[in-house]
Amino acid sequence: MRPADVFALALETLRRHRLRTGLSMLAVAIGVLAVLLLTTLGDAAKRYVVVQFASYGSNIVSASPGRTDTFGMAGAVGEATRPLTIDDCDAVLRRCPAVREVVPVAVGSSPVQFGDRSRDVYVVGTTAAYAEVRGLAVTSGRFLPAGDVRRGERVAVLGSRLRSELFGATSPVGARVRIGETPFLVIGVLESKGRVFGMDQDDLVLVPVASAQRLFNDVSLHRAMIQARDAAGVPRVVAQARAVLIDRHRDEDFTLVTQDALLASMRSIVDALTAALAAIAAISLAVAGIGIMNVMLVSVSDRIGEIGLLKALGARAEQIRALFLAEAVLLAGAGALAGIVGAVALVAMAGRVWPQVPFVVHPLWALLDAVLALGFGALFGFLPARRAARLPAVEALGARR
Amino acid sequence: MAPPLIRLEGITRVYQVGDSEVRALDGVDLTIETGEFVALMGPSGSGKSTLLHVIGCLDVPTAGQFRFEGEPVQDLSEDRLAAIRQTRMGFVFQSYHLVPRMTALRNVELPMILAGIAPAERRARAQAALADVGLAARAGHRPDQLSGGERQRVAIARAIVLRPRVLLADEPTGNLDTRTGGEIVRLLERLNDEGLTIVLVTHDPQVAGRAHRLLTMRDGRLHADTGVREPAP
Repeated sequence: MRPADVFALALETLRRHRLRTGLSMLAVAIGVLAVLLLTTLGDAAKRYVVVQFASYGSNIVSASPGRTDTFGMAGAVGEATRPLTIDDCDAVLRRCPAVREVVPVAVGSSPVQFGDRSRDVYVVGTTAAYAEVRGLAVTSGRFLPAGDVRRGERVAVLGSRLRSELFGATSPVGARVRIGETPFLVIGVLESKGRVFGMDQDDLVLVPVASAQRLFNDVSLHRAMIQARDAAGVPRVVAQARAVLIDRHRDEDFTLVTQDALLASMRSIVDALTAALAAIAAISLAVAGIGIMNVMLVSVSDRIGEIGLLKALGARAEQIRALFLAEAVLLAGAGALAGIVGAVALVAMAGRVWPQVPFVVHPLWALLDAVLALGFGALFGFLPARRAARLPAVEALGARR
Repeated sequence: MAPPLIRLEGITRVYQVGDSEVRALDGVDLTIETGEFVALMGPSGSGKSTLLHVIGCLDVPTAGQFRFEGEPVQDLSEDRLAAIRQTRMGFVFQSYHLVPRMTALRNVELPMILAGIAPAERRARAQAALADVGLAARAGHRPDQLSGGERQRVAIARAIVLRPRVLLADEPTGNLDTRTGGEIVRLLERLNDEGLTIVLVTHDPQVAGRAHRLLTMRDGRLHADTGVREPAP
């Protein structure tokens, strides 16, 4: 029997029973659609995370006070954590050749007041280098001044949201705002950056780090952003910065985190989540496979007389099995195709509604999904096909009378 | 001298029905030569259909020896039996057994599809076979658009399209009125005249009377055999 004829005969049968063909195709389509949508969602989440990290700055090692690794008996070491200070930042920059720049960051929260308007925002104390490391730019005025970081000028750069909330349409540059009780001169406005990891990058005010420390009466930094000269230098930066800080603190009472490590762990979390969701979706595909089996069993018992005829006409058991398997695989294949088309259409629609999320249906996922559906079709089609092939010819012929 | 086309020796077929055994065939000895037109008669349950199925290699005897064209058949594999059915046997049934979703032409093509014959060739041969049974004009009709006699003609065209040695007909006129049944018998006679061996099961004495040899069965045994004779006028 020619393969084209096998499929032509199977197709003739499927078209004869439009309703049950359509319903079992629909079940497969829904399963394939679910698997594909969830893997696409996972992909999009992963890409979103990468984009978020990119907006966080490049080749950055983040140093923060306190240990995250736990070792030894609790309390046995018993040493208090030393604060991370501007002096630490200076030392790292001076003594580590692999380091290009160190940006101290002190964070607190305080009301910012202009005239009769006031807004509680994050106050980020940092230096001029922050703009470059974070990839920030000002839309008007200028950024924090370079120079002695300890001087603590009373100048402020407003986030775009804060600016519009306090000043409306008028230009704030040159105006004075009060941060807590202290008056600051507004020297610039940041361009909008949206949210990064849930923190609004536009609803904050930047001031020189020493000013922030004075505002909050705290010499400790929230963290220090240590920038390597290039991506290859990141491991050396970690080693050198660790050595310098241990030397100064007499203990490893700080944590160094590279972007790669963060990115990798975020990626693996998203991957695991995607795999789990896809596996759950695959269950619906398996259920669709059982649906195919049911339809095929009905098809076999409907056509017992026809099976007997085929045997009388000289069909071998293997040919009859092939005919019924082809039906199951065609069902699964057509359903898979419909599911993939549906997923692509839905994703295209989602892309229009949420243009900022990078939804793309990966062809490899679509292919794997289709292969999975065909596999289920063949798997669940096999039993009915075998049953058809094993029917004794005489009994099958008699079934019609 | 060539061996007989069909030679049965002590053919027995026992079915297990629940706890009891049914002897559908009980030691049948029979020889049929090429070109014969044999009618099988007998009451229901006498074993005539089982005998037809055994000769057609659809059923396998429990005991005895069956030689087809001199070759022992009873020990062959399922696939070898299928091959014999495909190339040597043609079947016609009381209820036609046409595939309802296929046109007459495609029904006649079916054995050739199973045999892997290319589409162009099988279409031409199916057309020729339909023309041979007088249904060239009905090739595009589905079974539900054909009369009973036409359906049986399509079934006969399907049975002979691969040029079998034997045509096995199980009550081919059973669902037809006398006139249409007569036409079918005349078609079978013509095919027999052209050299096709025919074995036909029937209840109808008039149909049986047209055969050259009449076998009567009772309780799984051959009860009477007229031998080859002149058909009734």
